[in-house]
Amino acid sequence: MNGGQLPKIQKQPERILLFNDECAVCRHIGHWVQRSARSKSGETSIIVQPIGDDPERLRSLNPDLDIWDAYETIHVLMPDGSMRLGGEAVAEVLRNLPNTKWLAWSFATTLFGIRPFQVILNVAYAILADVRPLFGCESCGKPRVLRPIEWVSKWAKTLLGRDPHPRPHFSSFSAARRRPLAGPRELLPQARHS
Amino acid sequence: MINETLELPRKTPAGRSSGDKIQTVTSSTFTRLVLEAEGPIVVEFMSYGCAHCRAIEPVLEQVARMVEPQERIFRVNIAVEQALAGSYQIQGTPTLIMFLNRNEVGRVEGPSPTVSSVLTAVTQPFES
Repeated sequence: MNGGQLPKIQKQPERILLFNDECAVCRHIGHWVQRSARSKSGETSIIVQPIGDDPERLRSLNPDLDIWDAYETIHVLMPDGSMRLGGEAVAEVLRNLPNTKWLAWSFATTLFGIRPFQVILNVAYAILADVRPLFGCESCGKPRVLRPIEWVSKWAKTLLGRDPHPRPHFSSFSAARRRPLAGPRELLPQARHS
Repeated sequence: MINETLELPRKTPAGRSSGDKIQTVTSSTFTRLVLEAEGPIVVEFMSYGCAHCRAIEPVLEQVARMVEPQERIFRVNIAVEQALAGSYQIQGTPTLIMFLNRNEVGRVEGPSPTVSSVLTAVTQPFES
């Protein structure tokens, strides 16, 4: 916490793509963008960064950037201090990659006041964001398409007399990447472990 | 037919506040703020990348406002404080541990993200 004062904004000359490093799909896409954004001369058109665990670091990039929101949807931080979210962020990334910048015209094209390709991209992003747990995203929770099944399962368990409480989320560091979680129990001997 | 201005407002989608009622504790401040503190203390072991923690965050903020000043709620980011999480055998997030006079008096794993269930979880252990 910083005593209510806004942190200084770090001025970035490049766009910054923030990705969820605990999500396999997001990680693959992030690394693909990182490779694609690099030109032959070594310059990069987009800086790719994992969201990380530090809310203050994110606020230093943009005071409006909330870490919970960053994990909820893809963010691209613009050099002028604005942010692009969701499908707009994807379009911004594609617009700035050497191999895909030819797509830029399509996202900007308007027809009867709407941008049809951008709308398609928004929907595609929303679907991917929703189903990414199917491809390996331990930090995303269950996709909405599976929630009715979960609801039926919960009530079936209730009717059968089993524990209806939801299982806690097991985040990725406890499963794979950031192992081991187990630390010295004697660190806090006062604690009573149940 | 080309729209060149694609600016979005500088607002995040959910427009959440950054959570002033729940202070983050680290391994260096845990003993002082949690174990050596008087009165009921609730510690949420969480991770920012955890969808369930995200769901429970506004609820916990609301509950924190309801139970203060009798109870204080703290947050431990287990992605950073792995030793602390290990010492309390945190198996998943969010896990709420209730402390009273240095002792753990209750623990709830993955509570439903409703005010009533979280309020019950953080008050019931101190009533017995």
